[in-house]
Amino acid sequence: MIYLDSAATTMQKPPAVRRAVSAALGRMASPGRGGHRPAMLAAETVFACRQAAAELFQVPDPEQVILTGSATQGLNLAIKALVRPGDTVLISGYEHNAVTRPLHALGAQVKVAAGPLFRPEALVRRFEELLTPEVACVICTHVSNVFGYVLPVETVAALCLRRRTPLIVDASQSAGCLPVSLADWGAAFIAMPGHKGLYGPQGTGLLLCGAEVKTVPLLEGGTGSASASQEMPAFLPDRLEAGTHNVCGAAGLLEGLHYVRRRGTADILAHEQALLRRAAQGLAEIPGVRAGVDPMLRCQAGVLSFNLEGMDCEEAAAALSERGIALRAGLHCAPLAHQTAGTFQTGTVRASFSAFNTAREVDRFLREMERLAPARR
Amino acid sequence: MVYYLIVCRSLTYAQRTAAALERAGITAHILRSPKIIDQEGCSHSVKVAERSLADALTLLARAGLSPKRVFVMSSDGSYKEVLL
Repeated sequence: MIYLDSAATTMQKPPAVRRAVSAALGRMASPGRGGHRPAMLAAETVFACRQAAAELFQVPDPEQVILTGSATQGLNLAIKALVRPGDTVLISGYEHNAVTRPLHALGAQVKVAAGPLFRPEALVRRFEELLTPEVACVICTHVSNVFGYVLPVETVAALCLRRRTPLIVDASQSAGCLPVSLADWGAAFIAMPGHKGLYGPQGTGLLLCGAEVKTVPLLEGGTGSASASQEMPAFLPDRLEAGTHNVCGAAGLLEGLHYVRRRGTADILAHEQALLRRAAQGLAEIPGVRAGVDPMLRCQAGVLSFNLEGMDCEEAAAALSERGIALRAGLHCAPLAHQTAGTFQTGTVRASFSAFNTAREVDRFLREMERLAPARR
Repeated sequence: MVYYLIVCRSLTYAQRTAAALERAGITAHILRSPKIIDQEGCSHSVKVAERSLADALTLLARAGLSPKRVFVMSSDGSYKEVLL
Protein backbone atom coordinates (compact mmCIF):
# COMPACT_ATOMS: atom_id res chain seq x y z
CA MET A 1 0.00 0.00 0.00
CA ILE A 2 1.29 3.43 -0.95
CA TYR A 3 0.04 5.87 1.64
CA LEU A 4 -0.74 9.35 0.30
CA ASP A 5 -3.17 10.50 2.99
CA SER A 6 -0.90 12.34 5.40
CA ALA A 7 -3.24 15.34 5.56
CA ALA A 8 -5.52 13.01 7.56
CA THR A 9 -2.71 11.48 9.61
CA THR A 10 0.86 10.52 8.88
CA MET A 11 0.91 6.75 9.01
CA GLN A 12 4.65 6.29 8.62
CA LYS A 13 6.33 7.57 11.79
CA PRO A 14 9.98 7.80 12.76
CA PRO A 15 10.93 4.49 14.43
CA ALA A 16 11.75 6.34 17.67
CA VAL A 17 8.07 7.33 17.98
CA ARG A 18 6.92 3.72 18.10
CA ARG A 19 9.65 2.79 20.56
CA ALA A 20 8.79 5.71 22.83
CA VAL A 21 5.08 4.85 22.90
CA SER A 22 5.84 1.25 23.71
CA ALA A 23 8.34 2.16 26.44
CA ALA A 24 5.92 4.64 28.01
CA LEU A 25 3.20 2.00 28.11
CA GLY A 26 5.39 -0.24 30.22
CA ARG A 27 7.15 2.28 32.44
CA MET A 28 5.14 5.44 32.96
CA ALA A 29 2.23 6.28 35.25
CA SER A 30 0.25 9.52 35.54
CA PRO A 31 2.05 12.88 35.91
CA GLY A 32 1.20 14.87 39.02
CA ARG A 33 -0.67 11.98 40.59
CA GLY A 34 2.14 10.56 42.69
CA GLY A 35 5.68 11.13 43.78
CA HIS A 36 6.87 7.66 42.81
CA ARG A 37 9.27 7.00 39.97
CA PRO A 38 6.75 5.95 37.29
CA ALA A 39 4.69 9.11 37.93
CA MET A 40 7.77 11.35 37.90
CA LEU A 41 9.08 9.70 34.74
CA ALA A 42 5.75 10.45 33.08
CA ALA A 43 5.93 14.03 34.36
CA GLU A 44 9.44 14.47 32.94
CA THR A 45 8.30 13.16 29.55
CA VAL A 46 5.24 15.40 29.40
CA PHE A 47 7.31 18.41 30.41
CA ALA A 48 9.96 17.58 27.81
CA CYS A 49 7.19 17.44 25.21
CA ARG A 50 5.95 20.90 26.24
CA GLN A 51 9.50 22.26 26.16
CA ALA A 52 10.23 20.81 22.72
CA ALA A 53 6.99 22.29 21.36
CA ALA A 54 7.71 25.66 23.01
CA GLU A 55 11.13 25.78 21.34
CA LEU A 56 9.86 24.73 17.91
CA PHE A 57 6.94 27.17 17.90
CA GLN A 58 8.55 30.04 19.79
CA VAL A 59 6.29 29.93 22.81
CA PRO A 60 7.90 31.89 25.65
CA ASP A 61 6.89 29.50 28.40
CA PRO A 62 6.15 25.74 28.34
CA GLU A 63 3.13 26.39 30.59
CA GLN A 64 1.49 27.98 27.55
CA VAL A 65 1.66 24.65 25.69
CA ILE A 66 -1.51 22.62 26.31
CA LEU A 67 -1.62 18.93 25.45
CA THR A 68 -4.87 18.12 23.68
CA GLY A 69 -6.29 15.04 22.00
CA SER A 70 -6.48 16.70 18.57
CA ALA A 71 -6.41 20.03 16.75
CA THR A 72 -10.21 19.94 16.95
CA GLN A 73 -10.07 19.93 20.74
CA GLY A 74 -7.58 22.79 20.68
CA LEU A 75 -9.73 24.81 18.30
CA ASN A 76 -12.79 24.23 20.48
CA LEU A 77 -10.87 25.45 23.53
CA ALA A 78 -9.66 28.51 21.64
CA ILE A 79 -13.02 29.39 20.10
CA LYS A 80 -14.96 28.90 23.32
CA ALA A 81 -12.50 31.14 25.15
CA LEU A 82 -12.94 34.03 22.74
CA VAL A 83 -16.41 33.78 21.19
CA ARG A 84 -19.72 34.35 22.96
CA PRO A 85 -23.11 33.55 21.40
CA GLY A 86 -24.00 36.18 18.84
CA ASP A 87 -20.44 37.50 18.47
CA THR A 88 -19.17 38.33 15.00
CA VAL A 89 -16.23 36.21 13.87
CA LEU A 90 -14.18 36.64 10.71
CA ILE A 91 -12.83 33.44 9.18
CA SER A 92 -11.06 32.52 5.95
CA GLY A 93 -12.95 30.75 3.20
CA TYR A 94 -10.76 27.67 3.68
CA GLU A 95 -11.71 26.66 7.23
CA HIS A 96 -12.37 23.11 8.36
CA ASN A 97 -15.51 21.96 10.19
CA ALA A 98 -13.39 21.97 13.36
CA VAL A 99 -13.75 25.76 13.14
CA THR A 100 -17.14 26.24 11.50
CA ARG A 101 -19.11 23.72 13.57
CA PRO A 102 -18.17 25.19 16.98
CA LEU A 103 -19.03 28.66 15.62
CA HIS A 104 -22.37 27.34 14.38
CA ALA A 105 -23.07 25.71 17.76
CA LEU A 106 -22.28 28.98 19.52
CA GLY A 107 -24.63 30.93 17.24
CA ALA A 108 -21.82 33.22 16.11
CA GLN A 109 -22.29 35.64 13.22
CA VAL A 110 -19.69 34.44 10.74
CA LYS A 111 -18.12 36.64 8.08
CA VAL A 112 -16.08 34.78 5.47
CA ALA A 113 -13.00 36.23 3.80
CA ALA A 114 -13.06 34.19 0.61
CA GLY A 115 -10.67 34.44 -2.29
CA PRO A 116 -9.59 32.31 -5.22
CA LEU A 117 -7.10 29.49 -4.73
CA PHE A 118 -3.41 30.44 -4.61
CA ARG A 119 -4.10 34.20 -4.69
CA PRO A 120 -2.98 35.35 -1.22
CA GLU A 121 -3.06 39.05 -2.13
CA ALA A 122 -6.78 38.82 -2.90
CA LEU A 123 -7.41 37.06 0.40
CA VAL A 124 -5.53 39.72 2.38
CA ARG A 125 -7.66 42.42 0.73
CA ARG A 126 -10.83 40.60 1.82
CA PHE A 127 -9.56 40.33 5.39
CA GLU A 128 -8.74 44.05 5.37
CA GLU A 129 -12.25 44.89 4.14
CA LEU A 130 -14.09 42.60 6.53
CA LEU A 131 -12.08 43.14 9.72
CA THR A 132 -14.36 45.78 11.19
CA PRO A 133 -14.61 46.86 14.83
CA GLU A 134 -17.46 44.50 15.75
CA VAL A 135 -15.34 41.42 14.91
CA ALA A 136 -14.63 39.60 18.18
CA CYS A 137 -11.96 37.36 16.72
CA VAL A 138 -10.35 36.19 13.49
CA ILE A 139 -9.76 32.55 12.64
CA CYS A 140 -7.43 31.59 9.81
CA THR A 141 -6.10 28.23 8.76
CA HIS A 142 -2.44 28.26 7.78
CA VAL A 143 -2.73 25.62 5.04
CA SER A 144 -5.96 24.37 3.47
CA ASN A 145 -6.41 20.68 4.24
CA VAL A 146 -8.11 20.23 0.86
CA PHE A 147 -5.89 22.15 -1.55
CA GLY A 148 -2.60 22.68 0.27
CA TYR A 149 -3.03 26.42 -0.25
CA VAL A 150 -0.70 28.27 2.13
CA LEU A 151 -2.74 31.20 3.37
CA PRO A 152 -0.98 34.51 4.13
CA VAL A 153 -1.28 34.00 7.87
CA GLU A 154 1.68 36.25 8.72
CA THR A 155 -0.01 39.21 6.99
CA VAL A 156 -3.37 38.38 8.58
CA ALA A 157 -1.64 38.21 11.98
CA ALA A 158 -0.05 41.64 11.46
CA LEU A 159 -3.44 43.03 10.46
CA CYS A 160 -5.03 41.58 13.61
CA LEU A 161 -2.31 43.10 15.79
CA ARG A 162 -2.83 46.51 14.19
CA ARG A 163 -6.58 46.32 14.73
CA ARG A 164 -6.25 44.73 18.18
CA THR A 165 -8.37 41.72 17.29
CA PRO A 166 -7.44 38.31 18.71
CA LEU A 167 -6.36 35.70 16.17
CA ILE A 168 -6.76 31.92 16.24
CA VAL A 169 -4.59 29.99 13.78
CA ASP A 170 -5.35 26.43 12.71
CA ALA A 171 -1.90 24.99 12.00
CA SER A 172 -3.18 21.47 11.33
CA GLN A 173 -1.45 21.15 7.97
CA SER A 174 1.52 23.45 8.55
CA ALA A 175 2.99 22.43 11.91
CA GLY A 176 6.10 20.46 11.04
CA CYS A 177 6.61 21.77 7.50
CA LEU A 178 6.29 25.55 7.74
CA PRO A 179 7.49 28.08 10.31
CA VAL A 180 4.83 28.50 13.01
CA SER A 181 5.55 31.12 15.67
CA LEU A 182 3.35 32.22 18.53
CA ALA A 183 5.81 35.00 19.37
CA ASP A 184 6.09 36.42 15.85
CA TRP A 185 2.41 36.26 15.03
CA GLY A 186 1.14 37.48 18.40
CA ALA A 187 -1.77 35.06 18.04
CA ALA A 188 -4.16 34.42 20.91
CA PHE A 189 -4.12 30.70 20.14
CA ILE A 190 -2.51 28.30 17.68
CA ALA A 191 -3.99 24.80 17.47
CA MET A 192 -2.40 21.78 15.81
CA PRO A 193 -2.60 17.99 15.78
CA GLY A 194 0.32 15.94 17.02
CA HIS A 195 -0.28 13.10 14.59
CA LYS A 196 0.17 14.79 11.22
CA GLY A 197 3.28 16.83 10.42
CA LEU A 198 4.66 16.36 13.92
CA TYR A 199 4.66 12.56 13.48
CA GLY A 200 3.24 11.75 16.91
CA PRO A 201 0.58 9.11 17.56
CA GLN A 202 -3.10 9.61 16.80
CA GLY A 203 -4.94 11.12 19.75
CA THR A 204 -2.36 13.85 20.33
CA GLY A 205 -2.51 17.59 19.72
CA LEU A 206 -1.20 20.91 20.99
CA LEU A 207 -2.79 24.23 21.78
CA LEU A 208 -0.39 27.15 22.10
CA CYS A 209 -1.86 29.93 24.24
CA GLY A 210 -0.91 33.60 24.15
CA ALA A 211 0.39 34.98 27.42
CA GLU A 212 -2.54 37.22 28.26
CA VAL A 213 -5.49 35.20 26.98
CA LYS A 214 -8.41 34.25 29.17
CA THR A 215 -9.16 30.54 28.94
CA VAL A 216 -12.28 28.49 29.56
CA PRO A 217 -12.01 24.76 30.37
CA LEU A 218 -13.97 22.35 28.21
CA LEU A 219 -13.69 19.76 30.98
CA GLU A 220 -13.56 20.06 34.74
CA GLY A 221 -11.91 17.46 36.91
CA GLY A 222 -8.72 16.37 38.60
CA THR A 223 -5.50 18.15 37.72
CA GLY A 224 -3.17 16.96 40.47
CA SER A 225 -3.01 20.54 41.75
CA ALA A 226 -5.01 22.75 44.18
CA SER A 227 -7.20 19.74 44.91
CA ALA A 228 -8.92 21.27 47.95
CA SER A 229 -10.69 23.79 45.73
CA GLN A 230 -13.77 23.00 43.68
CA GLU A 231 -12.77 25.62 41.12
CA MET A 232 -10.51 24.65 38.26
CA PRO A 233 -7.01 26.11 38.75
CA ALA A 234 -6.58 29.56 37.24
CA PHE A 235 -3.14 28.72 35.85
CA LEU A 236 -2.04 26.90 32.72
CA PRO A 237 -1.61 24.17 31.71
CA ASP A 238 -3.66 22.63 34.53
CA ARG A 239 -6.71 24.79 33.81
CA LEU A 240 -7.21 23.14 30.42
CA GLU A 241 -5.92 19.64 31.15
CA ALA A 242 -8.40 17.95 33.50
CA GLY A 243 -8.08 14.18 33.68
CA THR A 244 -5.28 11.73 33.05
CA HIS A 245 -2.85 12.74 30.32
CA ASN A 246 -2.20 10.69 27.22
CA VAL A 247 1.33 9.96 28.44
CA CYS A 248 2.11 7.37 25.77
CA GLY A 249 0.97 9.88 23.17
CA ALA A 250 3.13 12.61 24.67
CA ALA A 251 6.13 10.27 24.68
CA GLY A 252 5.61 9.55 20.99
CA LEU A 253 4.92 13.18 20.16
CA LEU A 254 8.15 14.19 21.89
CA GLU A 255 10.09 11.93 19.53
CA GLY A 256 8.11 13.30 16.58
CA LEU A 257 9.05 16.84 17.62
CA HIS A 258 12.70 15.78 17.89
CA TYR A 259 12.50 14.35 14.37
CA VAL A 260 11.06 17.57 12.93
CA ARG A 261 13.63 19.64 14.80
CA ARG A 262 16.53 17.52 13.56
CA ARG A 263 15.43 17.35 9.94
CA GLY A 264 14.13 20.92 9.82
CA THR A 265 10.79 22.21 8.56
CA ALA A 266 12.42 23.73 5.46
CA ASP A 267 13.86 20.39 4.40
CA ILE A 268 10.56 18.60 5.03
CA LEU A 269 8.64 21.21 3.02
CA ALA A 270 11.15 21.02 0.15
CA HIS A 271 10.79 17.23 0.07
CA GLU A 272 6.99 17.36 0.10
CA GLN A 273 6.90 20.08 -2.55
CA ALA A 274 9.23 18.08 -4.79
CA LEU A 275 6.79 15.18 -4.58
CA LEU A 276 3.88 17.54 -5.17
CA ARG A 277 5.57 18.99 -8.27
CA ARG A 278 6.26 15.49 -9.62
CA ALA A 279 2.66 14.43 -9.02
CA ALA A 280 1.23 17.63 -10.53
CA GLN A 281 3.40 17.35 -13.64
CA GLY A 282 2.42 13.72 -14.09
CA LEU A 283 -1.29 14.38 -13.60
CA ALA A 284 -1.16 17.25 -16.11
CA GLU A 285 -0.19 14.71 -18.79
CA ILE A 286 -3.12 12.40 -18.10
CA PRO A 287 -6.19 13.29 -20.18
CA GLY A 288 -9.30 14.08 -18.19
CA VAL A 289 -7.52 14.94 -14.94
CA ARG A 290 -8.03 18.40 -13.45
CA ALA A 291 -5.76 19.25 -10.53
CA GLY A 292 -5.63 22.31 -8.26
CA VAL A 293 -2.03 23.43 -8.57
CA ASP A 294 -0.25 26.67 -7.84
CA PRO A 295 1.87 26.94 -11.02
CA MET A 296 4.99 28.23 -9.22
CA LEU A 297 4.31 26.33 -5.96
CA ARG A 298 4.68 29.74 -4.34
CA CYS A 299 1.92 29.05 -1.85
CA GLN A 300 1.14 25.32 -1.91
CA ALA A 301 2.31 22.78 0.64
CA GLY A 302 2.29 19.00 0.10
CA VAL A 303 -1.45 18.55 -0.56
CA LEU A 304 -2.98 18.16 -4.02
CA SER A 305 -6.66 17.92 -4.95
CA PHE A 306 -7.83 16.63 -8.31
CA ASN A 307 -10.76 15.18 -10.21
CA LEU A 308 -10.97 12.62 -12.95
CA GLU A 309 -13.44 13.59 -15.67
CA GLY A 310 -16.55 11.46 -15.71
CA MET A 311 -15.75 9.68 -12.47
CA ASP A 312 -17.10 10.34 -8.99
CA CYS A 313 -14.31 11.31 -6.62
CA GLU A 314 -15.20 8.56 -4.13
CA GLU A 315 -15.25 5.96 -6.91
CA ALA A 316 -11.85 7.16 -8.09
CA ALA A 317 -10.40 6.89 -4.57
CA ALA A 318 -11.95 3.43 -4.15
CA ALA A 319 -10.51 2.28 -7.48
CA LEU A 320 -7.08 3.60 -6.50
CA SER A 321 -7.37 1.91 -3.11
CA GLU A 322 -7.97 -1.42 -4.88
CA ARG A 323 -4.76 -0.72 -6.80
CA GLY A 324 -2.85 -0.14 -3.56
CA ILE A 325 -2.94 3.66 -3.36
CA ALA A 326 -4.42 5.21 -0.20
CA LEU A 327 -5.99 8.64 -0.81
CA ARG A 328 -8.98 10.49 0.56
CA ALA A 329 -11.96 11.75 -1.42
CA GLY A 330 -15.09 13.79 -0.77
CA LEU A 331 -15.37 17.10 1.07
CA HIS A 332 -12.54 16.38 3.56
CA CYS A 333 -14.62 17.84 6.45
CA ALA A 334 -14.14 21.24 4.83
CA PRO A 335 -17.30 22.10 2.85
CA LEU A 336 -16.51 25.80 3.13
CA ALA A 337 -13.16 25.33 1.38
CA HIS A 338 -14.89 23.45 -1.44
CA GLN A 339 -17.54 26.18 -1.73
CA THR A 340 -14.80 28.81 -1.95
CA ALA A 341 -12.87 26.88 -4.59
CA GLY A 342 -15.96 25.86 -6.58
CA THR A 343 -15.67 22.10 -5.97
CA PHE A 344 -18.51 21.67 -3.49
CA GLN A 345 -20.73 19.72 -5.90
CA THR A 346 -18.07 17.26 -7.01
CA GLY A 347 -15.71 17.04 -4.07
CA THR A 348 -12.15 16.10 -4.93
CA VAL A 349 -9.64 13.30 -4.60
CA ARG A 350 -6.76 14.39 -2.38
CA ALA A 351 -3.18 13.20 -2.39
CA SER A 352 -1.08 14.41 0.52
CA PHE A 353 2.58 13.75 1.17
CA SER A 354 4.82 13.35 4.18
CA ALA A 355 8.54 13.28 4.85
CA PHE A 356 8.45 9.50 4.38
CA ASN A 357 6.96 9.37 0.88
CA THR A 358 9.27 8.83 -2.08
CA ALA A 359 9.43 9.77 -5.76
CA ARG A 360 8.99 6.08 -6.63
CA GLU A 361 5.71 6.04 -4.74
CA VAL A 362 4.51 9.08 -6.66
CA ASP A 363 5.49 7.42 -9.94
CA ARG A 364 3.52 4.31 -9.00
CA PHE A 365 0.51 6.50 -8.13
CA LEU A 366 0.80 8.18 -11.54
CA ARG A 367 1.00 4.81 -13.33
CA GLU A 368 -2.19 3.71 -11.59
CA MET A 369 -3.86 6.99 -12.54
CA GLU A 370 -2.87 6.48 -16.17
CA ARG A 371 -4.42 3.01 -16.08
CA LEU A 372 -7.56 4.29 -14.41
CA ALA A 373 -8.14 7.25 -16.72
CA PRO A 374 -8.48 5.36 -20.05
CA ALA A 375 -10.70 2.79 -18.38
CA ARG A 376 -13.26 5.54 -17.78
CA ARG A 377 -13.30 6.98 -21.29
CA MET B 1 19.94 17.63 57.12
CA VAL B 2 18.30 21.02 56.78
CA TYR B 3 16.80 21.81 53.40
CA TYR B 4 14.31 24.18 51.83
CA LEU B 5 11.12 23.50 49.92
CA ILE B 6 10.06 26.00 47.28
CA VAL B 7 6.32 25.42 46.91
CA CYS B 8 5.05 25.83 43.33
CA ARG B 9 1.54 26.33 42.01
CA SER B 10 1.72 23.37 39.65
CA LEU B 11 3.88 20.46 38.61
CA THR B 12 4.78 22.23 35.36
CA TYR B 13 5.80 25.34 37.31
CA ALA B 14 7.91 23.16 39.59
CA GLN B 15 9.53 21.62 36.53
CA ARG B 16 10.31 25.06 35.10
CA THR B 17 11.71 26.12 38.47
CA ALA B 18 13.87 23.02 38.83
CA ALA B 19 15.08 23.30 35.24
CA ALA B 20 16.14 26.92 35.76
CA LEU B 21 18.03 26.00 38.94
CA GLU B 22 19.71 22.96 37.42
CA ARG B 23 20.82 25.02 34.41
CA ALA B 24 22.59 27.33 36.87
CA GLY B 25 24.25 24.42 38.62
CA ILE B 26 21.97 24.33 41.66
CA THR B 27 20.81 20.82 42.50
CA ALA B 28 17.01 20.83 42.60
CA HIS B 29 14.68 17.92 43.20
CA ILE B 30 10.93 17.90 42.58
CA LEU B 31 8.67 16.21 45.10
CA ARG B 32 5.06 16.33 46.16
CA SER B 33 4.60 18.94 48.88
CA PRO B 34 4.11 17.46 52.37
CA LYS B 35 0.44 17.71 53.30
CA ILE B 36 1.21 19.84 56.34
CA ILE B 37 2.52 22.72 54.24
CA ASP B 38 0.17 22.25 51.35
CA GLN B 39 -2.80 24.46 52.09
CA GLU B 40 -4.62 24.03 48.78
CA GLY B 41 -4.25 20.26 48.49
CA CYS B 42 -1.87 18.59 46.03
CA SER B 43 1.06 20.70 44.95
CA HIS B 44 4.68 20.14 44.08
CA SER B 45 7.78 21.62 45.64
CA VAL B 46 11.37 21.99 44.60
CA LYS B 47 13.85 20.89 47.23
CA VAL B 48 17.16 22.76 47.48
CA ALA B 49 20.02 22.52 49.96
CA GLU B 50 20.31 25.05 52.74
CA ARG B 51 23.43 26.60 51.23
CA SER B 52 21.71 27.11 47.84
CA LEU B 53 18.58 28.98 48.88
CA ALA B 54 19.86 32.53 48.56
CA ASP B 55 21.33 31.91 45.11
CA ALA B 56 18.22 30.02 44.08
CA LEU B 57 15.86 32.82 45.05
CA THR B 58 18.01 35.43 43.31
CA LEU B 59 18.10 33.34 40.16
CA LEU B 60 14.37 32.63 40.22
CA ALA B 61 13.56 36.31 40.69
CA ARG B 62 15.72 37.09 37.65
CA ALA B 63 13.94 34.39 35.64
CA GLY B 64 10.52 35.70 36.64
CA LEU B 65 9.69 32.49 38.49
CA SER B 66 8.15 33.52 41.77
CA PRO B 67 7.82 30.83 44.45
CA LYS B 68 4.41 30.52 46.04
CA ARG B 69 5.92 29.95 49.49
CA VAL B 70 9.19 28.65 50.91
CA PHE B 71 9.55 26.33 53.89
CA VAL B 72 12.58 25.15 55.79
CA MET B 73 12.69 21.65 57.15
CA SER B 74 14.38 21.78 60.50
CA SER B 75 16.49 19.06 62.04
CA ASP B 76 13.55 18.00 64.24
CA GLY B 77 11.52 17.24 61.10
CA SER B 78 9.15 20.20 61.40
CA TYR B 79 8.48 22.74 58.65
CA LYS B 80 8.62 26.48 59.16
CA GLU B 81 7.66 29.03 56.57
CA VAL B 82 10.41 31.36 55.46
CA LEU B 83 9.22 34.93 55.07
CA LEU B 84 10.47 36.24 51.74
